[in-house]
Amino acid sequence: MTKDLETKFLSELDKHQNIIHKVCRTYTNNDAAHKDLFQEITIQLWNAYPKFRGDSKFSTWMYRVSFNTAISLYRKTKRNIETTPLIENKVDFEYSEYNDKQDRQLDLLYKAIHSLNDIEKALALMYLEDKSYEEIASTLGITEINARVKMNRTKTKLKNILNP
Amino acid sequence: MAQLENIKDLWKQQETENIRYSKNELQGMMRQRSSSVVKWILIISILEFILPNIIFLVTDFEASREFNEQYGLTNMVNVYLGIHIVIILGFIYVFYRNYRNISVDTSVKMLMHHIITTRKTVKYYIYYNLTIAALIGFHMFYEVFNSKAFLSTLPEKTNLALIWIVSSVLFVLVLVLLWGIYKLVFGFFLKKLNRNYQELEQAE
Repeated sequence: MTKDLETKFLSELDKHQNIIHKVCRTYTNNDAAHKDLFQEITIQLWNAYPKFRGDSKFSTWMYRVSFNTAISLYRKTKRNIETTPLIENKVDFEYSEYNDKQDRQLDLLYKAIHSLNDIEKALALMYLEDKSYEEIASTLGITEINARVKMNRTKTKLKNILNP
Repeated sequence: MAQLENIKDLWKQQETENIRYSKNELQGMMRQRSSSVVKWILIISILEFILPNIIFLVTDFEASREFNEQYGLTNMVNVYLGIHIVIILGFIYVFYRNYRNISVDTSVKMLMHHIITTRKTVKYYIYYNLTIAALIGFHMFYEVFNSKAFLSTLPEKTNLALIWIVSSVLFVLVLVLLWGIYKLVFGFFLKKLNRNYQELEQAE
């Protein structure tokens, strides 16, 4: 039974791992931290999986757990703090960790996202993923009106960072 | 916002370019131990439930019994002890109930709310301990400083007020130190969480 559950979970996790990578890249800015957060999200997902009833899509549920882990549960390890550059409202420092294959523009976008606060990061990611306000509100646990207000503020902030 | 819409296309292109972990790597990860804030809160909370009582556990019972009898404190100490045990059990029950409510698949705000509530139980527990320590401490000072057994050991012309002041100051210093340590430990852990919670509360 546990084996079946594990196999099922693994295949879902594998299929949707891109979601976790996006969350990790949003909330961390180096490979070590990325892997660290990815691992913590995976542990949290696996621990919560027996209670997952399929009322929502696996991917929706995955977003929720991933944000919760990134925003509230994850603690940077010492190693990561040391390698995390201090990001102000500027995007002009050299960024090399993910540079290999990624487009420079995408890099700039992530740099801009890194300068947002934790909640705004979640909003920005859900905006880019075309999530409905209903889903955004229920993921964050706020009203739809408030989600719209916060989203507008986040979009303006993002735009200002990208075009100073 | 037209430019942000363009960014969405860019965002979607990254789908195939991202790093991927193999199933084996994923399986390895899911078997690791969590190092989440909640786990640390549980560990520290358990320590905080235990530590204030360790002082009691390491006490030389025979010596303290003799001390209590000498100064007529036995009844008083027993009453406080009874009340203290009942209150501790109450705290542990509330803490356990709150801890069980922490679930990673609720909304972001709800999760933070449950973590903060769980934390608050321990905060009140610490405040309770400091208060009861102050209460028992000063009550004991009062009983001891007014007992014949104590007064008879003092040299003549001893300034009793000075004894009161020195004992009180030292005692209060110890309590403040304990409170400071507590603040430091949890300020460190929950700073980020509190800030994010405030952010979500805003304009609600």
